Amino acid sequence: MLLSTPAYFTFLIAVFFAYWLVSRFRFAGLAVIVFANYFFYARWDLVYLALIPAASTCDFLIGHALATTARPLLRRALVTCSLVLNIGLIASVKYMPLLLDSYAHFTSTNARTWPWILPLGLSFYAFQSLTYTIDIYRRDAKPADSYLAYLASASFFPTTLAGPITRISTLLPQWSKRELLSAQDGGKAFFLIGLGLLKKFLIADYLAENLINRVFDLPKLYSGSEVLLGVYGYALQLYYDFSGYTDIAIGSALLLGIKLPGNFNRPYAAQNIADFWRRWHISFSNWLRDYLYFSLPGLRSRWKIFTYANLVLTMAIGGLWHGASWTFLIWGLWHGTGLAVQRWWQVLRGNPKPSAHSSVHFFKGLATFHFVLLGWIFFRAPSVAAARDIFAQIGSGTVSFANVTPGFLLVLAIAACAHYLPKNWYDGCLKLYSDSPFYAQAALMALLIVAIQYVGATGAVPFIYNRF
Amino acid sequence: MLPKKSSLAIVTFGVLILLLQLTKFARPFAPDAALDFRPRSSPVPEEPIRARSQGASFGNKIVSVPRNPTGPNLIDQRDSLKAFYQALWRTEARQPGAVTRILHYGDSPVTADSITADARALLQEHFGDAGHGFVLIAKPWAWYGHRGVDVRGSGWHIEAASQSRARDGLHGLGGVSFQGGTGASSQLVLHEDHARMEVKYLRQPGGGSLAVEADSSPIGKLETDGPEKQPAFQMFDLPVGARDIQLTVERGPVRIFGVSFEKDGPGVIYNSLGLNGGQVQMALRFFEKVQWAAELQHEQPDLVVVNYGTNESLYADYIERYYPGELRELLRRIQTAVPKASVLVMSPMDRGERNSSGQIATPATLPRLVEIQRQIAAETGCAFFNTFQAMGGEGTMARWYASQPRLVSADFMHPLPAGAKKVGVLLDQALESGFRQFKARQERLAEQPPAKGQEQ
Repeated sequence: MLLSTPAYFTFLIAVFFAYWLVSRFRFAGLAVIVFANYFFYARWDLVYLALIPAASTCDFLIGHALATTARPLLRRALVTCSLVLNIGLIASVKYMPLLLDSYAHFTSTNARTWPWILPLGLSFYAFQSLTYTIDIYRRDAKPADSYLAYLASASFFPTTLAGPITRISTLLPQWSKRELLSAQDGGKAFFLIGLGLLKKFLIADYLAENLINRVFDLPKLYSGSEVLLGVYGYALQLYYDFSGYTDIAIGSALLLGIKLPGNFNRPYAAQNIADFWRRWHISFSNWLRDYLYFSLPGLRSRWKIFTYANLVLTMAIGGLWHGASWTFLIWGLWHGTGLAVQRWWQVLRGNPKPSAHSSVHFFKGLATFHFVLLGWIFFRAPSVAAARDIFAQIGSGTVSFANVTPGFLLVLAIAACAHYLPKNWYDGCLKLYSDSPFYAQAALMALLIVAIQYVGATGAVPFIYNRF
Repeated sequence: MLPKKSSLAIVTFGVLILLLQLTKFARPFAPDAALDFRPRSSPVPEEPIRARSQGASFGNKIVSVPRNPTGPNLIDQRDSLKAFYQALWRTEARQPGAVTRILHYGDSPVTADSITADARALLQEHFGDAGHGFVLIAKPWAWYGHRGVDVRGSGWHIEAASQSRARDGLHGLGGVSFQGGTGASSQLVLHEDHARMEVKYLRQPGGGSLAVEADSSPIGKLETDGPEKQPAFQMFDLPVGARDIQLTVERGPVRIFGVSFEKDGPGVIYNSLGLNGGQVQMALRFFEKVQWAAELQHEQPDLVVVNYGTNESLYADYIERYYPGELRELLRRIQTAVPKASVLVMSPMDRGERNSSGQIATPATLPRLVEIQRQIAAETGCAFFNTFQAMGGEGTMARWYASQPRLVSADFMHPLPAGAKKVGVLLDQALESGFRQFKARQERLAEQPPAKGQEQ
């Protein structure tokens, strides 16, 4: 059930009414959420009905055991169990088919069929679950006092497909409060869902269907200028697709009174690569920093090389998390190297005062954007050879816009401009919508649905980040 | 307790959507899909397949088309492929020098040796490999490429019949002319050993010379000066194991149409002759008649495949009014030039377009064009291979786009390698199956006792 389909919104509305009808009874409210979570998983495959509760129960018990023992060895063993369980879950679903295929390829035998080929990667579930046990291990959080609250948090359906990765410790207290959804928050939830749909259908899918997918499929069929435009378009498509998903997820959670962290903050306005990662997929970069980078050995060593090496290693693992392929590894290494070089430069030169000159801002932003853009080519290309073809085609210098429609250019221009709109414009629109009467909110949503049907590119195309 | 304002907004929204659906302003939603528990093998939703309705009106010159035609994919009612099958039989019997030569003209998929590379590989695997065949000496399009030969060229003025075009219409066998001044060069790297290479060029007054090297050793020189413009050919023996071929213009101008690589037969040579934007009309107007006929005659093909149609497939009016006549004329030219060769009309693949409801659908003009091709082929004594039907008929590209791995690119027209292979295999299967049936028929005939009156 994709978050952009009528089926999902039917489901969400049903959960909304069921939850708020019983929410004054904590147990009943949590039971509704847990039922909704497992219903959501079951829609993908019934096997999740066994897998997810079993894994969640293990983590819940590990969390309690961690809280009740002070013996370092036992605590380490317990947290290792949780790591093995959750990383094993990702690996078994995501990497085993590839490993079996590779093994069969190198040994010239028939590939064995892996029984755990599942439609959902479970990485977001596993990352979220790990925040629980690792936080308790580090004594940064306390275990859940309610089994049901833990189950509701660990597999909370709006975050299942592609985050935002939310610490369980920030979700658990939210189930305890009994406040009714305010009109302001309800309006904000509708606004975010509408904005997410608009970003997804009217911008991201439109750009993808009208040039980007073609250019990345067969770059050699297009001129250098078309391929370049496709690459710029992809940067915007990815942002609008993923941030559109995030808006829908945050809006869905907010309809149930749960506040999720934001995931994007105008990433292409970043002034350097570290700044980019503070603005792009924020919950993921925070997770990598808090649970991977800080866990790597050598951070407190006097050998500074560890700092740089760990940055590269963290981003390389982050790259491979997206998929077991050379292109994702190169993408991760590219960003890791960028972060390491920036850190080295800061150590060498100190932290200079940010320039107030707008042209300096502009050029730093431009340079950062293009650094990120080069990485996106590897991120999107199906293989290293395909990425090479894209570079070669751009380098060919051929100029033709025969495959570029005015509609594509218009949407691209709107997407680029909208990205750089001042935040107070956004806040103003949000306030205006939230303060408007219920019938105006409903009418605007209905209008958006009709616009999507008439102007949008396609039916339900999966969100890019669903596959990770 | 229900949050009042949000609940009212949701209910109002639901009512509005219902009203919009009832008044046909919004397309129907399927809320019951929320209860669909069929397991999903991948997060990609199944693409609804819906062909575009038959809105276009067609003339009545040719009978109407069934939307999903069935029947054999290879139609050869008049034994049109006899010459090809006989050649293939000789090749299969390993008769000395029995090389079966195929020329496959096509549009953009064939330009990248898609489909043809797979058909070539299969035929050569089953009947023997007599060499790669024709290849251009530089890339007129970045997309150009042949499996088994790496092509690189510089300094050439390239004129393709489907694009910039040579004024005199002399585009050679492959439809592309390469004019080079002193220093223009090409490098062709073979993945397998070959015995010979033939250079196809234009002899012309004031023509210059071309040096030919194999693995950095000179193997010959080509003088292109002649009293008048005429297509010419020169064969060069390749040293054993030589794979790196270098052509360099020592003195311009030199005009080359391509080269052809051969091995010692018997076997099959499958020449892939694709042009980006290739069409029947293009071949008719911009392949100079006499020169093209001479090029065809020189090749002595056993089978000529005419695989155009994708680029014409969206123009309903053109398809109705001009296409039948033009296709008829093109086939006549080929049959006149190489009367002993079999001619096979190969229909285009399915193609897709997003319709107004966002679904990928086959344009209504495409099945119509395929039907016209079938009828013209029958009328002119050519065989017909219905690629469109063989790959699944209407909606195939939608299914191919939704499949994992994807078989067609996002333009719903150009196959990805796995999709091209599918079509190549289908073509090979049809030809080989036709060949087996031909052989069986011939063997039955040979076994039949002579009729009574003929007994001596």
